[in-house]
Amino acid sequence: MTGMLWLCKREVLRVYKVWTQAVFAPVVSSLLFIVVFGLSLGGRIRMIEGFHYREFIVPGLVAMAMMQAAYSNNSASIFQARSDRYINDVLSAPMRPWQMNLGVNMGGWARALAIGVLLLAAAIPITGAPIHHPFFLILTVAFGILLFGALGIVVGIYAETFDHHTFVNNIVILPLAFLGGVFYSVSRLGSPWHELSHVNPVFYLVNAMRYGLLGVSDANQWLCLGVTAGLAVPVYLWSQYLFSSGRKLKA
Amino acid sequence: MTPALQLEALTKHYDDGTVALENFDLTVPAGAFFGLLGPNGAGKTTLISAVCNLIRISSGDVRVFGEPADSTIARGWVGLAEQDINLDRFLTVEETLVYHGGYFGMTKVDAERRAGEMIDAFDLRAKANVRTPKLSGGMRRRLLLARALMHRPRLVILDEPTAGVDFELRHELWRYIRQLHSEGTTILLTTHYLEEAEELCEEIALIKGGRLIARDSAHGLREHYGADSLADVYVKAMGV
Repeated sequence: MTGMLWLCKREVLRVYKVWTQAVFAPVVSSLLFIVVFGLSLGGRIRMIEGFHYREFIVPGLVAMAMMQAAYSNNSASIFQARSDRYINDVLSAPMRPWQMNLGVNMGGWARALAIGVLLLAAAIPITGAPIHHPFFLILTVAFGILLFGALGIVVGIYAETFDHHTFVNNIVILPLAFLGGVFYSVSRLGSPWHELSHVNPVFYLVNAMRYGLLGVSDANQWLCLGVTAGLAVPVYLWSQYLFSSGRKLKA
Repeated sequence: MTPALQLEALTKHYDDGTVALENFDLTVPAGAFFGLLGPNGAGKTTLISAVCNLIRISSGDVRVFGEPADSTIARGWVGLAEQDINLDRFLTVEETLVYHGGYFGMTKVDAERRAGEMIDAFDLRAKANVRTPKLSGGMRRRLLLARALMHRPRLVILDEPTAGVDFELRHELWRYIRQLHSEGTTILLTTHYLEEAEELCEEIALIKGGRLIARDSAHGLREHYGADSLADVYVKAMGV
């Protein structure tokens, strides 16, 4: 267990050493969204699900910032370790594969949690957004960062160049987040966009977060949580398989 | 006495079809200073990677002091300084050593104490708080060796530890490695510097194309090949 704890510590230290770009920058950019869209333009938008627009966008923005952080942190960390080959120091250490997987996942979780806590601490006083279901919110965050942290590990292990890591972030995660109802309620979309939105996995994460914070959701909250958890577990097992088999990590 | 390293029918075929090792057998006695010589692509690094759990072997058995090489206990007994510099770019010199010690099960207090010893032994004190990308080539090589020895391994594997190192540092490293060996540590050394192997190693194995060509002391190899020096032995054995 000692080795795993040191690996966890190393991943968190990495976040700490680059905290301005890893934590501060995403918090500021998300707050800018809240200020620009929520406070400046929000007055022109009527209430959504009984909430002011500035409150309505907070859960989606927090979810988007956290999942991007969990993904990009782990993807970049494992890719750099493979590229510079200092991953060998971990692979040759007396740690079991599950300990290695858990250890390298920790950085993304820590970074995502730091961003989520800071963002909520700043956004709640600014917007007045409530926290209706804190336990549900904790569960959502846990499965959300598990899903995107593990996805980052998988992509970081398969990536041949750094472009592959950024491609998944910019072409897959970000569009899915924007189309997942971060800035609008999917219930207001017409067919077929309303139905198509339900194919987007990020829609369920955003709405689970929205239920945890605001107490409202475009779909049943347990379905949202179930889909997020149902994706998180197999993706985490996928990253575990890569460590257990050594596939793409060992020649 | 249980050998430090025992390879039986070790075979490694890479995905691109390259056969790096084929039914390779080798036993390294405990406490030996053992040299592994061969041209580039002979299979030396593959062999080392198999021992250190860094490749997926195709078949065969690898044991370290009688334990399977992929077991956690065996991994804790091996220290590896790789040929290429592979230092964590986010860590300082001291952190590199302390975290490595942690990965290998050392407590914080023990790891910090040992890191201090290694920093002094390898003359890294002035750079202890410098991040690894800012080190010179020689300093990185010292740190790589210090990291390999950090957790007090019973078997130290040095894959061309003096490649690209100036004459003074090379002799300094030799001195330290000799001292380590005299304290009972088993050393497995690969090098392209034949005089280095001749001077340091008690026994030498020559490998080519993934197969063992010869194995003996430097003196024995010279006699067997009727050569004046290990360089002549190498030329004859490898058909250079």
